[in-house]
Amino acid sequence: MKLKHIQHLYWRAGFGILPNDLEPLKDLKRKAVVDLLFKNSEKISPLNIDTSELNQILKSGGPLSDVERKKIQQLSRKKSIELNMSWMQRMMKPWELLREKMTLFWANVFVCEDNNVVYTQKYNNTLRTFALGNFKDFVNAISKEAAMTKYLNTKQNKKQKPNENFARELMELFTLGEGHYTEEDIKESAKAFTGYSHNLEGDFVLRAFQHDNSYKVFFGETGNFDGADIIDIILKQRQCAKFICEKIYAYFVNDRLNAKHINEMVDVFYRDYNIKSLMHFVFCADWFYDDENIGIKIKSPVELLVGINHLVPIRFENKKQLLYLQRQLGQVLLDPPNVAGWKGSRSWIDSNTISLRLKLPSILLNDAYISKVENDESESMMLAKKQVLKNRVGKQFKIQRDWNFFENCFKQVPSNKLQDYVLMAPLSSTAEQYLSTLNKTSKQEYCVQLMSLPEYQMC
Amino acid sequence: MERRKFLKQSSLASSLFFVPSFVKAFEQVATSKLGYKRLVIIQLSGGNDGLNTVVPFTNDLYYKARPTLAISKKDIIKVNDELGFHSSLLPLKRLYDNGDLTVINNVGYPNPVRSHFRSMDIWQTATDANRYSQTGWLGRYLDNYANKPYLGIEVDDNLSLALKGERLNGIATKNPKAFFNLSRDPYFKNLVNHEKDAHLSEHNLGYLYKTMIEAQSSAKYIFETTKTVSNHASYPDNKFANQLKTTAQFINSGIETKVFYTSLGGFDTHAGQLNTQKRLLKTYADGVEAFVNDLKSNNTFNDTLVLTFSEFGRRVAQNAGQGTDHGTANNVFIIGGQLKKQGIYNNNPNLSDLDDNGDLKFEIDFRTIYATVLNKWLEVNDEKILNKNFNQLEFI
Repeated sequence: MKLKHIQHLYWRAGFGILPNDLEPLKDLKRKAVVDLLFKNSEKISPLNIDTSELNQILKSGGPLSDVERKKIQQLSRKKSIELNMSWMQRMMKPWELLREKMTLFWANVFVCEDNNVVYTQKYNNTLRTFALGNFKDFVNAISKEAAMTKYLNTKQNKKQKPNENFARELMELFTLGEGHYTEEDIKESAKAFTGYSHNLEGDFVLRAFQHDNSYKVFFGETGNFDGADIIDIILKQRQCAKFICEKIYAYFVNDRLNAKHINEMVDVFYRDYNIKSLMHFVFCADWFYDDENIGIKIKSPVELLVGINHLVPIRFENKKQLLYLQRQLGQVLLDPPNVAGWKGSRSWIDSNTISLRLKLPSILLNDAYISKVENDESESMMLAKKQVLKNRVGKQFKIQRDWNFFENCFKQVPSNKLQDYVLMAPLSSTAEQYLSTLNKTSKQEYCVQLMSLPEYQMC
Repeated sequence: MERRKFLKQSSLASSLFFVPSFVKAFEQVATSKLGYKRLVIIQLSGGNDGLNTVVPFTNDLYYKARPTLAISKKDIIKVNDELGFHSSLLPLKRLYDNGDLTVINNVGYPNPVRSHFRSMDIWQTATDANRYSQTGWLGRYLDNYANKPYLGIEVDDNLSLALKGERLNGIATKNPKAFFNLSRDPYFKNLVNHEKDAHLSEHNLGYLYKTMIEAQSSAKYIFETTKTVSNHASYPDNKFANQLKTTAQFINSGIETKVFYTSLGGFDTHAGQLNTQKRLLKTYADGVEAFVNDLKSNNTFNDTLVLTFSEFGRRVAQNAGQGTDHGTANNVFIIGGQLKKQGIYNNNPNLSDLDDNGDLKFEIDFRTIYATVLNKWLEVNDEKILNKNFNQLEFI
């Protein structure tokens, strides 16, 4: 398999690949490389932060006193940061690379948030569990998650007074897309999800006395439907398979959709809604490796942060700073802007984020210093400048960097080939010329320069 | 290439030599006389419940539809014989009494969409409900009538679709100094000078370059213009009030910016609405009053128009969770010192003529408000920006 193609695959199915990991894959055929990716993701390793103190309170079964309620909130706030870090950490050192990337993807399809960290962790692990499984099982599981019944008010959806929030978003954002159902479909399906709730520990409970057992008319079918029936009927629509395939294409291939490619995907997915088969098909398709699909995606903030860490492992001594960066870059894990999630692509980029994103590698890896490029500056001037940056910006972030790791992984890569391993977007000739004048610097500094190019923002 | 020769070339580049064509395009737009009038948008995200904001306290249908959610007559601040403000809106009542506030009722659009995101997009792009647009109405204002991105500033970390144009994007910043410091690395300056592929702007990578150039040119201007003015006026201590405080600081510095964008979120009250909305409306009203007072004491209020909207109102009937579901038409607040028609602009919401979902029918298309603001306040051709001809209203 071609070097660039393996890198492309690993950027889309993961967060990049290092030269020493790349080497053994070069002689394999495409299918073998893809198979390996799936094989390595067979296991499911849930996130597991310690919530025992919270579980203790939740186990009581309620009703909760005000003190207990407050305690849950307090603990959750603290532990949510821990969960965020734990998820970040997981992506930085993934055991199951593809599964983790899929988990990140699904978290932006089945968007949800909650202030109870026990429920959020459970939810996040459900995403991880079904990430490569069957889509029908996945949607059913999601509809019964405590965090989801809270987030989209299914809990308040009662026979006497239906609440349409979940029914609407289920169709608009999770399965069909806007315009592929009627307001009547929403009203009727909301009835089917009445009574969906959870106990204190976060397990699903169907409150029978709140469930509407009347006949519902949904997509032309009539019956005493429950939530699972509604999901069955939704999945019968080819539009559902198309909707998900479009999302997968935009995320893993190209945000400019190609109708022909997507149609091929729908043919595969509509058969049995097996996510694994679909992804395998995509990663093996010839068009996945077309030049027009390589290095053209704008990295999400998480892809950017995790990608930098992939080259040079970093450790934040102050965890809040990693959280701060997520916020400034516009993507805080577990805290989506709204139920539609992050729009992605160009909407990651505005006047604010672009400056920070370009500066980020140098801030994290080199005390905010990139290179000497200004006219007629003496060595001593540059040293002074570097010191100022280090004091002003670099020291704001308490970070440990493992440059030895980088040096080891890149031992066989000569400096002038570094860009082939660091960048996915082709360099323009002018940028290449510009870079060639900076060659006298060390491999480390050259790496930082490459990572400071807009080209590095692409994958 | 030798270093010295290269540097010589790169210093040449700082003249127009290597500057991409889309940068040059900025300069070619004649700096039109845009005047001093400013527009401040306040977006209430999540769908504010308009009926509990401006309460039809004599309407039995209102109380019937909301047995435990309606606001009782004794709790409201009366503004006329039929309508009263939510108790959190006392500061707004003062503006009302002063003739600085117009309330426009029943604002919406045909074929209303009850999805937050879609409806917000519709409000921000000002397109028909069944059409999608990648540009916002203020972005298109920048495209047509501005030559610099910073003529539109969102006082936040991220830029809304409303301020994204085809050619120009507005700027998002709430801290000019941090914004400036980030963008001033010489590495980027040289890089910009080297980028000469005009077609780049069509691709994602080109979009990055384009945004980088805009950010650099704007950060410097915003920082240097606003750094001399500090704001000592007193504001409540919250994120929304801080946005308004920064906006006032910008306006009072004499910056050229024409449009400011701010927002307050959390209005999606499907459950437990009474407390949530009470708190949010207080945050809104207290912030706005501090803002108006600040502008007044700096003599900039008469040149400022504030428009408050939410992506939709909420269903007339309450739901089972002490809340309300997504609805349609809603009220819009216009605040300014030069209002032509003050107070309540039009008819009260008609609760006896609802649509099939039990939602209000709209009377005024929000785009007629935009058209009026563009035409009469910002004094530009509204049709060119809205791609359609809308009637003008008479509030300014």
